[in-house]
Amino acid sequence: MQNKIISKQDLVSFVNNLIKEKAAEEIVGVKASDGKYAFGELANASELCLDYDVTLLPPKKYFLPQKETVLKFKLGAKPSVEPVADAKSIIIIGVHPYDIKAIELCDAVYTSTNPDPNYLLKRNKATIIGVDCLNPNPKAFCPSLGTAIVESGFDLMLTDIGDSYVVAVGTGNGDKLLNKYAKTKAATDSELAQRDNQRRQALGKYKVSLNMPSSEVPGLLEASWDSPVFKEKSETCLSCGSCVMVCPTCVCFDVQDDIALTLDKGERYRQWDACMLVDFAKVATGENFRDDKEKRFRHRMYRKGMYLITRYEKPGCVGCGRCALACLAQIASPAETFNLLKEAS
Amino acid sequence: MKPKIAFFDFTGCEGCQLEVLNFETELVDLLNLVDIVNFREAMTERSDDYDIAFIDGAISTESDIARIKAIRDQAKILVTIGSCSSLGGVNCLKNFYPMKEVLKIVYGKDAKYYNTIPARPVSAVVPVDYSLPQCPVNRFEFINLTKALLLGKKPERPNYPVCVECKLAENGCVFDKGGTCLGPVTRAGCGAICITNGRHCWGCRGLVDEPNINSEKEILKEHGLTVEDMLKKFRIYDGWLEVSK
Amino acid sequence: MVTQLTPKASLYLPRLAELTRVEPLAQKEKVFEFRLSDGKELGHKPGQFVEISLFGIGEAPISISSSPTKKGSFELAIRATGNVTNALHKLDKGATVGIRGPFGNGFPIDKFKNKDVLIVAGGIGLFPLRSLINYIRDNRADFGNLTVLFGCRAPVERLFCNELCTWGEYTDMEFLETVDTCDESWTGNVGVITTLFPKITFDPSNTYAVVVGPPIMYRFVIAECVKKGIPEDQIILSLERRMKCGVGKCGHCQINNVYVCQEGPVFTYAELKKLKEAV
Repeated sequence: MQNKIISKQDLVSFVNNLIKEKAAEEIVGVKASDGKYAFGELANASELCLDYDVTLLPPKKYFLPQKETVLKFKLGAKPSVEPVADAKSIIIIGVHPYDIKAIELCDAVYTSTNPDPNYLLKRNKATIIGVDCLNPNPKAFCPSLGTAIVESGFDLMLTDIGDSYVVAVGTGNGDKLLNKYAKTKAATDSELAQRDNQRRQALGKYKVSLNMPSSEVPGLLEASWDSPVFKEKSETCLSCGSCVMVCPTCVCFDVQDDIALTLDKGERYRQWDACMLVDFAKVATGENFRDDKEKRFRHRMYRKGMYLITRYEKPGCVGCGRCALACLAQIASPAETFNLLKEAS
Repeated sequence: MKPKIAFFDFTGCEGCQLEVLNFETELVDLLNLVDIVNFREAMTERSDDYDIAFIDGAISTESDIARIKAIRDQAKILVTIGSCSSLGGVNCLKNFYPMKEVLKIVYGKDAKYYNTIPARPVSAVVPVDYSLPQCPVNRFEFINLTKALLLGKKPERPNYPVCVECKLAENGCVFDKGGTCLGPVTRAGCGAICITNGRHCWGCRGLVDEPNINSEKEILKEHGLTVEDMLKKFRIYDGWLEVSK
Repeated sequence: MVTQLTPKASLYLPRLAELTRVEPLAQKEKVFEFRLSDGKELGHKPGQFVEISLFGIGEAPISISSSPTKKGSFELAIRATGNVTNALHKLDKGATVGIRGPFGNGFPIDKFKNKDVLIVAGGIGLFPLRSLINYIRDNRADFGNLTVLFGCRAPVERLFCNELCTWGEYTDMEFLETVDTCDESWTGNVGVITTLFPKITFDPSNTYAVVVGPPIMYRFVIAECVKKGIPEDQIILSLERRMKCGVGKCGHCQINNVYVCQEGPVFTYAELKKLKEAV
């Protein structure tokens, strides 16, 4: 992989060039928001925060919007229906490695069988500029899952080495952007050594870890179905959905129709939905197949630690810690539950 | 034939009727589908022939009881709009005092000319088909419910807490900022509007179907609230639940 | 680029279909016949389902009741229980709906070839099984003995009554039915569906049992089949879940690691035993 150096000053110019020259229809990046961080449209490079810990929502929202129209229909004597899928070209700046891993999982879900037109259209128009996470949040446990550092899945990847960034060039598209909009130079061996050192130091800052190799988690879960841990932990669950709304590997949705007040036309839309919400597995006859919080809690843990991995051969949890940060009952961290199960096994 | 709809107000601020009126553009389309035959804030004509009655305000006098029963007898579908008619709402705060004292505080020496009874939601007096609590009523929800009724579809309400919508709005958590919030047990549907605008959730949409009140109380306690503080928080909109137990 | 895949724009796009016939079956059940507006066949297997759209109301998963051997149209038998199905029940001939699918794996018909087939239908579990029964009847020489057991709660809840009568009259199949409770006007069998088992004989090792009914019925019927010696991988069941998207994306139908809309809705008992939340 090609590695370049861009000074911090030149990175500001690079981002401002992308914005000014409209390198894509949307230029988004990590900004300070409500005392936290969030991905949002950039008006100026000065808004960009690259030393953030974690964003409120993952960048998944650009490929799988919270609410998205998939069909438009007309009613009446001659009803008609047409698919709706649109996408703007987008450059997303400041994606952490664990979120890149999570996007790879979303890709697998939405492209492996029955490729999803709405997802793919958006995904294929996206450029991802990553940044190494040097200030992990206190609930993150990426190193345990191998998601703290990535070698692919990005167009460009930045690492802060003090006065400048090392830029790993992941794709031809990334290379073109640099050539056109940025002033860079080749990275020296000592600069690359500095990068490795930065990454190594960051790995030491994580406060949470799995007490087993992540490869053991699926087997551990397989043997733990009847463990009392699930009931104990889920007792205080508010079923508030915070853990699943902020999760970068939660990919489920609900589908609804909305009709105009003229009652002659409308649209079908999908919106985020998740297995921790009470009615998720309820069918029309009223039966709810996961009717208590213990079952829902366990299902989520299995999904993160086993189901997604065996189905898509990718980590179902990337260790970003968002769920644990968002959970008021402090029960959401998969690491914590997996560790408890391990201790009990 | 277009269904006839009517609005009736009981004890409350009538902000709900105003909120419906605020839906200026949609109201014109709505009038193509229904006839509005009773709407005190909007028109002078009155008719007692209607199919759907929308009620705002709590029941808080003996005469309210007789009046809501008559409306129930006439209406095929009765819908409460807003927190007062749906939950009892802020009116129920008076229920924690003796009625005589309440009358005296409000009317002073004229208290003897008035009667009052503990405030209650409409559902405590007559059967209610659908409820749209929120203070004031969520006009989008009002329109969606009306559309659903016209289509013969069961109106759906979110059965998850405000937290879901708060996360989608990318708000920082009120608890993280040192505040306290009823979002984790309150039914979503408002788009977490109060939190998005810098406040906390007051619970004006009532509780979700399976609220984990114990866990919410634990969390409030951890964030420095006493049992008394907590009860006060729940009382603002959900006081009726407490006294009707 | 993630992938060079060209997704079908039609993944969530229903085909339009015209309602060509409606017939009441019981109090809350009707059978609807549809013809796809593009003139094509639905192209399904018995045991598969479609997502039916009533635009403005929504979409619902419904199993297909007619056999693929019936050409030109297909039938969906539907109980009115939710928004979509209630609205469907108000439709008249000539109405337009949307259809996506067929989805799901369907019954493993190829495995049934030259085997005896024992079909156990409880209540509206008959809806998907009718497709299979009629398929076998239309390809009778490909299969061994055909036995059909049908049970419902009361005589008024019997479904496809005319067909039940003809099944009883055919000599190349055996048909038995029972009701849970009845008044004196009912002269047939009374009792839960497992009470029919002593009345039939079959060679368990050469038999596939296909069971569809309410969850409570599964436990008893499976136990009966196992007791009779039918191997677990020859006991076939179909599951009801909330199959919202039909294409393995939305997550609503997931049981453990299985997407019912993709790997199901038809499973062998051997497979289901490994699933924790299935029956």
